[in-house]
Amino acid sequence: MQQQQAVNKTPTFRVDGLAVAAGGRTLITGFAVQIEVGEVVGVTGPSGCGKSTLLRALAGLIDPIAGEIRFCGQRPEEMGWPLFRAQVLHLSQRPTVLARSVRENLRRPFGYRHARRAYSEGRARTLLERVGLDRSQIEQAARSLSVGEQQRVCLVRALLLGPAVLLLDEPTSALDQETRDAVEALIREEAATGNLSALVVSHDRAQVGRWCGREVDLAPCLVKGGG
Amino acid sequence: MGAGPIELSYVDLAVATGLVVVAGVVSLALQLGLARRLAVAATRTAIQLLIIGYVLKWVFKIDSPWVLLPVMGFMIFVAGRAAVERTGRRYPGAMGDAFVTLVLCSLLTTFTVTEAVIGVTPWYTPQYVIPLLGMILGNSLTGISLCLDALLERFSEQQGLIEMELAHGATRWEAARDVLRDAVRRGMIPIINSMMVVGLVSLPGMMTGQILAGNPPLQAVQYQIVVMFMLAGATALGCIGVALLAYRRLFNAKHQLRAELISKV
Repeated sequence: MQQQQAVNKTPTFRVDGLAVAAGGRTLITGFAVQIEVGEVVGVTGPSGCGKSTLLRALAGLIDPIAGEIRFCGQRPEEMGWPLFRAQVLHLSQRPTVLARSVRENLRRPFGYRHARRAYSEGRARTLLERVGLDRSQIEQAARSLSVGEQQRVCLVRALLLGPAVLLLDEPTSALDQETRDAVEALIREEAATGNLSALVVSHDRAQVGRWCGREVDLAPCLVKGGG
Repeated sequence: MGAGPIELSYVDLAVATGLVVVAGVVSLALQLGLARRLAVAATRTAIQLLIIGYVLKWVFKIDSPWVLLPVMGFMIFVAGRAAVERTGRRYPGAMGDAFVTLVLCSLLTTFTVTEAVIGVTPWYTPQYVIPLLGMILGNSLTGISLCLDALLERFSEQQGLIEMELAHGATRWEAARDVLRDAVRRGMIPIINSMMVVGLVSLPGMMTGQILAGNPPLQAVQYQIVVMFMLAGATALGCIGVALLAYRRLFNAKHQLRAELISKV
């Protein structure tokens, strides 16, 4: 019980006073969020307001101009950026796959030095099926798939690696309603097991309302004229 | 036969000029519009080579490291500039990186050949050092510029792919190594191709020169083998060197790709 409380005191992912800029212009200031284990939190804001930039900064792919990020109480510098990113995994809106088979794409991150687990073909096939792809598509060339299929392959690749936090940038932008529902359900279920939290950036308030337990509106953080 | 080169007189050169004039007449007759450029090119060829001839004559005569070293420095500087000017993209510090790489790879290979292979005494004998350095610079600058060009093209155009790898926990090295490897490969292709066909398709200029100068063909061949291996070694070192230096500038300690540093020319 005491241990449980200790865990609760340190949120999985905590961001304070984050400010980001693009092209020399400040877009967002004072962004703060705290995500507990198993939570799915939505971040909403108008198109082009800097949501993607914000998410990239949260993964340390670019530098924020101010603010602090902590994973389980630790700053990324302390744990090392690659290790941090394997735990706080950023998924870009545009699916990015290597010009190889789906399987090789899924296996790729397991070859990195900081990967903590081994690739599981069984789980890979199960997850592919869960997001509405065919098991046999694992043999296909990833770039021959449609954008929507690639988007789901990317999600499966991220989930396989077992991150603690997923940073999802418009994760269903290229999906039809049916597959979108499947993806939402999968993330919710993974979160319910307590092994995953997610921060979902979306311009679609309805999706956030449906999917996320909590919503953070970017409006107060937007810099005037920043869009 | 083989008693040494037949000396050319200025009359001989004038006869050779006739050959260029033929080319000019052809251009005029067929209205190729090349006559002017051809005249400029022919004049430049003559003037540049004459100047270098006098410079070499002077450097050879003085035969001192204090003359040789600045000449080498100048050659490397010009090669460094040329290497970067041929690339389609740049980053701040590219020139310095190319220069450092050329210094290391060219000096290392030049002096390995003059000291360990040929055994030149004294070490600064310009008759050996300058032509060898010149060949090395010419080849490694081609390799370096091809390598740098490939590397910068892929780092800027595949930013998404590299950041995807970084986002999944790849270190900067893990995210960059495919690009680095391909870039080094691209830089090495010309020298490997020329090693494949040397002697079959063309006789290299240096070997031709030695034969024209009256040296026995087999000796010329031995020298040419040394030169080809030297060029391959220098190009490999140059490509690897410049790729690593560029990598150090374009990725920071936070394992971020700083693609914004790359600018198109």
